[in-house]
Amino acid sequence: MSDQTQIKARSPFAEAFEMFRRNHAAVAGLVVLLLIVAVAILGPFLYPGNPFDMVWAPFTPPGQEGYLLGTDYLGRDILSLLIHGAKVSLTVGLAAAFVTVTIGITVGALAGFYRGLIEEALMRFTEFFQVLPTLLFSMVIVALFGASLTMITIAIGLVSWPAVARITRAEFLRIRELEYVTAARAGGVRNGGLIFKVILPNALPPIIVQAALMVGSAILFEAGLSFLGLTDPNVASWGQIIGSNREYILDASYTVTVPGVAIFVTVLAISLVGDGLNDALNPKLRQR
Amino acid sequence: MTTFLKALARSVAAAALLVSAAHADEPVKGGTLITTLPQTPRHLNPAVQSGIVTGAPGAQLFAAPLRYDEDWTPQPYLAESWAWSDDGLSMTLNLVQDARFHDGEPITSEDVAFSVETIKANHPFKTMFGVVETVETPDEHTAVLKLSQPHPALLLAMSSQLMPIIPKHIYGDGQDPKSHPRNGQDVVGSGPFKFVEFTPDQQVILERNDDFFIEGRPYLDRIVYRIIKDAAARSIGMENGELHMTTFENTVRNIKRMSENDSLNVTDEGYAAIGPINWLAFNTGQDGPLADKRVRQAIAYALDKDFILNAIMLGLSQEAKTGIHPGSPLYFPDVNGYDLDLDKANALLDEAGYPKDANGIRFALTIDHGNPTTKPQAEFTKASLAKIGIDVSVNSFVDFPTWANKISNHDFDMTWDTVFNWGDPVIGVHRTYDSQNIKEGVIWSNTQQYANPKIDELMNAAGQEIDPAKRAELYREFQEILAEDLPVYWTNTLPYHTIYSKKVGNPPLGIWASSSPYDLVYLKDE
Repeated sequence: MSDQTQIKARSPFAEAFEMFRRNHAAVAGLVVLLLIVAVAILGPFLYPGNPFDMVWAPFTPPGQEGYLLGTDYLGRDILSLLIHGAKVSLTVGLAAAFVTVTIGITVGALAGFYRGLIEEALMRFTEFFQVLPTLLFSMVIVALFGASLTMITIAIGLVSWPAVARITRAEFLRIRELEYVTAARAGGVRNGGLIFKVILPNALPPIIVQAALMVGSAILFEAGLSFLGLTDPNVASWGQIIGSNREYILDASYTVTVPGVAIFVTVLAISLVGDGLNDALNPKLRQR
Repeated sequence: MTTFLKALARSVAAAALLVSAAHADEPVKGGTLITTLPQTPRHLNPAVQSGIVTGAPGAQLFAAPLRYDEDWTPQPYLAESWAWSDDGLSMTLNLVQDARFHDGEPITSEDVAFSVETIKANHPFKTMFGVVETVETPDEHTAVLKLSQPHPALLLAMSSQLMPIIPKHIYGDGQDPKSHPRNGQDVVGSGPFKFVEFTPDQQVILERNDDFFIEGRPYLDRIVYRIIKDAAARSIGMENGELHMTTFENTVRNIKRMSENDSLNVTDEGYAAIGPINWLAFNTGQDGPLADKRVRQAIAYALDKDFILNAIMLGLSQEAKTGIHPGSPLYFPDVNGYDLDLDKANALLDEAGYPKDANGIRFALTIDHGNPTTKPQAEFTKASLAKIGIDVSVNSFVDFPTWANKISNHDFDMTWDTVFNWGDPVIGVHRTYDSQNIKEGVIWSNTQQYANPKIDELMNAAGQEIDPAKRAELYREFQEILAEDLPVYWTNTLPYHTIYSKKVGNPPLGIWASSSPYDLVYLKDE
């Protein structure tokens, strides 16, 4: 089959990209996500000003007086809050995903590689975190140590890593028995080298998919905490806009709807991209 | 709208008192009033517990020597008559003759003496009865309070909220009155309603005291206080008719919505004695810009009070220019109200020696807020002060104890706060400005660490002045100096409202709101 020879000739990245490209929803998600990232980076320059400035009468409906998305209960421009909030929400999402993946990979890799007592201990530890109610636990962390963005990010990371740890461990358990690992070991590669250079790169695909989805759920998480009032009031994030306006939902629903839609679209885009990555990195689907 | 409702409520109340009034306005006996408490009271004995959730059922269970109408005029209640001695050092109370506690024991001057001693020893408001040296009981129905100095605040302190008459034969058994088992269960009182049930987080039920010392009263058979913490749930209860009345409502959006409902009456009358005031407090005791009164004045000039009154409070609260509630006869409104003036604010800050740096910033401050409902004010302060070069960062509200601990240990720059007057200024106003009352760890003491010998002197004099005109004059000067020194910047009264259905006759609109006896309240036949 000439097709197959052609595929073999390609690099794995090109191959993955080809798989990703075939998933139209994922491509659409990626486009939307890139747009949002562009807004987050360029927005403050294109739409300058302090988002916390009171610019007009409170509850000016969208489109009036030149305020495209209206003003909130203190007369602050919602468009400005939204644009400045994009960076914060995305940063929190990415940083929390990073914390999650770092803890998750460390624990999962050690457990999966060394087995035995270490695995027992680490996995019981993981289960301990897994059974804690995530929202409550993160609320406690934020309430105890203060509602700064750093603390919120750490809190989200701390409650989310068990899933990554379990996936990593499962991959390690599978891969460590494969022949190329045995070969590498026989070739004199030390444990550290085996973990980081031999096994981890091959275990990464499902972790990458999980991490991508984590970014979305971290944004949702941050919004949830903000909704409950656990947020840094000096920083505009989407959740913070919803949280501080929720009392006025009956009088001025747009103040809550607008940031809500922003979160919805962003998380959806991230999920679609994650789904696309899953297709692209899953070898079983390649011959589809 | 509110004015109209006030007028309406007044005329309803007035009409109800007229014997010749139309049949519909004559009080009717019977019925169960369903009302609310916003939190579970710790217990039901106001003698050893402050606060409105204890005061509301407490005022029904226990009678006090006096009661008040809406004009701050004392009325006879458990005391038929009362009189100051000429030197103002003793107050003689003549009790009604045949008053009995709910268990049938007579109410005597011994009980009055016991109540005053218990309150003096256990109630958090030490200034109320602090100067009462002894209570003499020449006969069963006469009690004489002997004072170490003249103390006109005593009159307001003799209300149900602050001076419930409790039975000596129950509470005088040697147990600690603060944790007495009869505070919350099997309460034996002296008031118009008897104890039936108290289930924390659910309800308090009281029933008519048929043996009440005022003939023919109370009108209601029962009062059910449903404990509902969520303001939205209370307003839904009012709207669908499950509740007859709810008091101390202060969520402006809910009040606004209910005031548009034709089947409900909405009024802000009745909270003058409780006197809740919102203010921005400055920590004047720490080194830094806030120690300078020009900086505090500049901050006041930069805050648009109209915005707070109209946009945040939706026009439902009154402007408060001083620390005395606008409803009080001692309120003096002709002081500097600090109307918005950014030029003046900037000039004052320049003069105080805080020029703007290259980024337009003079200095940075933090702001707290003691209650989730004052979050808009905190955010508003941040945005407003940015305009005059003060970089404010808002501390997020975690919970009340955390905030109270922080503020009472003077670990703050500015905070929004709500403080109650509790009747006479001696009880609830002095504590904020008294330099002797800078107490670490005590919330609602002088947490601003403000000290001015002149103010101390005025408070001392006013606290002892029996002549009402002279007293008002002293408090006028007190308010003027404070408005200049500005240890706190008062903005508005808390928008407390009573909401009641058209069925409720004689709602509690006197100065003590729900902490006044409900013996006149009735439910109309329909």
